[in-house]
Amino acid sequence: MLSIVHVSKLEKTFHVRRYHQGRWASLQNLVTRRSRLIRAVDGIDFTIEAGELVGYLGPNGAGKSTTIKMLTGLLVPSSGRLIVNGFVPWKDRRHYVARIGAVFGQRTTLWWDLPVIESFELHRHLYQIPTGRFKRNLAEFNDLLELAPFLDVPVRSLSLGQRMRADICAALLHDPELLFFDEPTIGLDVVAKERIRNFIRHINEERETTVLLTTHDIADVQRLCRRVMIIDRGKLIFDGELARLLERFGGHHRLIVDFAESYAEVAVIGAELLSYSDQRAIYRFDRRKITAPALIQAVSERYAIRDLSIEEPDIETTIRTIYEKRLL
Amino acid sequence: MRQAFDIYRRLLGVQIRSQLQYRVSFSFDLFSAILVTATEFAALALVFERFEQIGGWTLGEVAFLFGLLEISFGIMDMVFGGFDPQDFGASVRHGSFDQIMLRPAHLLTQVLGSQFALRRLGRIVFGAGVLLFAVTVTQLDWTLAKVLYLPLVVTGMVLFFGGLYIVGSTITFWTVESIEAINILTYGGSYLISYPMHIYQNWLRRIFTYLVPAIFLNYYPVLYFLDKPDPFGFPAFAPFLSPLVGVASFVAALAFWRFGVKHYQSTGS
Repeated sequence: MLSIVHVSKLEKTFHVRRYHQGRWASLQNLVTRRSRLIRAVDGIDFTIEAGELVGYLGPNGAGKSTTIKMLTGLLVPSSGRLIVNGFVPWKDRRHYVARIGAVFGQRTTLWWDLPVIESFELHRHLYQIPTGRFKRNLAEFNDLLELAPFLDVPVRSLSLGQRMRADICAALLHDPELLFFDEPTIGLDVVAKERIRNFIRHINEERETTVLLTTHDIADVQRLCRRVMIIDRGKLIFDGELARLLERFGGHHRLIVDFAESYAEVAVIGAELLSYSDQRAIYRFDRRKITAPALIQAVSERYAIRDLSIEEPDIETTIRTIYEKRLL
Repeated sequence: MRQAFDIYRRLLGVQIRSQLQYRVSFSFDLFSAILVTATEFAALALVFERFEQIGGWTLGEVAFLFGLLEISFGIMDMVFGGFDPQDFGASVRHGSFDQIMLRPAHLLTQVLGSQFALRRLGRIVFGAGVLLFAVTVTQLDWTLAKVLYLPLVVTGMVLFFGGLYIVGSTITFWTVESIEAINILTYGGSYLISYPMHIYQNWLRRIFTYLVPAIFLNYYPVLYFLDKPDPFGFPAFAPFLSPLVGVASFVAALAFWRFGVKHYQSTGS
């Protein structure tokens, strides 16, 4: 496989102006300039292979947007190496952006007062897309995203979900090799989210478009990404398969047991009893230490069981724990 | 280059169609644009009602200055509307400029194509009316050279004030606090040169001769059109500097713009 994104020792520092506080603050601010150095991205390395679909996660202010801005050529790195699709993004902006697509969930690239189809037509000219390819792509995306009902509606009159679908279509009409999605499902309802996820999966699988996705919606990650990268305080704190992340940090499964009789005490070795009341016990266990069958056997040997179920570790909780406790 | 022009033409088409969607609002805007310019001109005419002359110039002569400036500034405001520092600053803050950077077309083409306020036609048409009035009452002595030079003077002013817009917009990459300073130059300067420059104090006129050579944009060409003597004794080519001043300031503004974009890419505003 071919690496499409090479990032090594990438850094971005900003001077953030510090303002004086207190009585003479405005006067002091006028006369002096003090600034503080912020390391928004603090030496990160990664590569993305062609055809991958990678989730890029991190709490607000962790350096996600700054990374995406450098990858899309909007920002020049302070140091480090960055080669995407054979380009140094910021150096050759016009040629580089002609071959990538970028969707920022909070913004639109479409023309507000124009019917959707006319924005697409403008993109055809901006990206110099051959007419045949343009028509084929539009027909395909139209099928998948169901754009037809609002192709003639001005963008200003679209719902958020419709606008998002139109924006995604616009970003793909020129067959980009690489796609950046920044919060593509933000503010959408469940059905709309699902539709967009299916579409992203489709273009990744069928067209082999490489996708880098930043999101706060863990369901996006769960449904789409095998690989995740987590950035915090400018450093990449995890890069690997989602399953491995859960294994390492969300290792706790839960076993919920309804007993047939009342017992005074239901503790078992190998699992932690979280709660016990009304003949129902909830155990927490680490699958690396005890397997589910072994635990169930241990419980059933000692007590009469009426019903039981096992809960997978919750990825959202896991990632929140990583952010909050800074586990990595 | 051809592609850039094709894109520009299409983006303009979008702007014009968008504005014509709101016909009532458009007519109202057009009407108020005429009204504003008309009021300014009426105020000027009232002064002449009382004093008959300003610095030895008649109403018709001053109207020539006024009309020429209104036409030029109106065209500039229409063509360079995307670089209006106020609006451009907002587009940088709201991230629309990032969207422009993500498209594979020249930034200049796209910013110019992001705004084309047709309502400025009101100002342009009224300015043309004032100019026509001036030509009639001063009984201007037309020559072929004058006819050919007139559009060049307009171009000079369009480029000069367009350059100021670009400089003002570029400054918003650093700060939005300082654009008032450039606005004073743009709006104050255009107001200043719609009067005969010899009525001002020496220091003020020198600033607008040597520091900001705006005196050559409008005043000197009009001296030539009206066959008036030069009160300051500049060489005979002084009335023909207008296009040069315009092109030079525009080129300088573009250089500053490129520098500003580089800065923006290194700081993200």
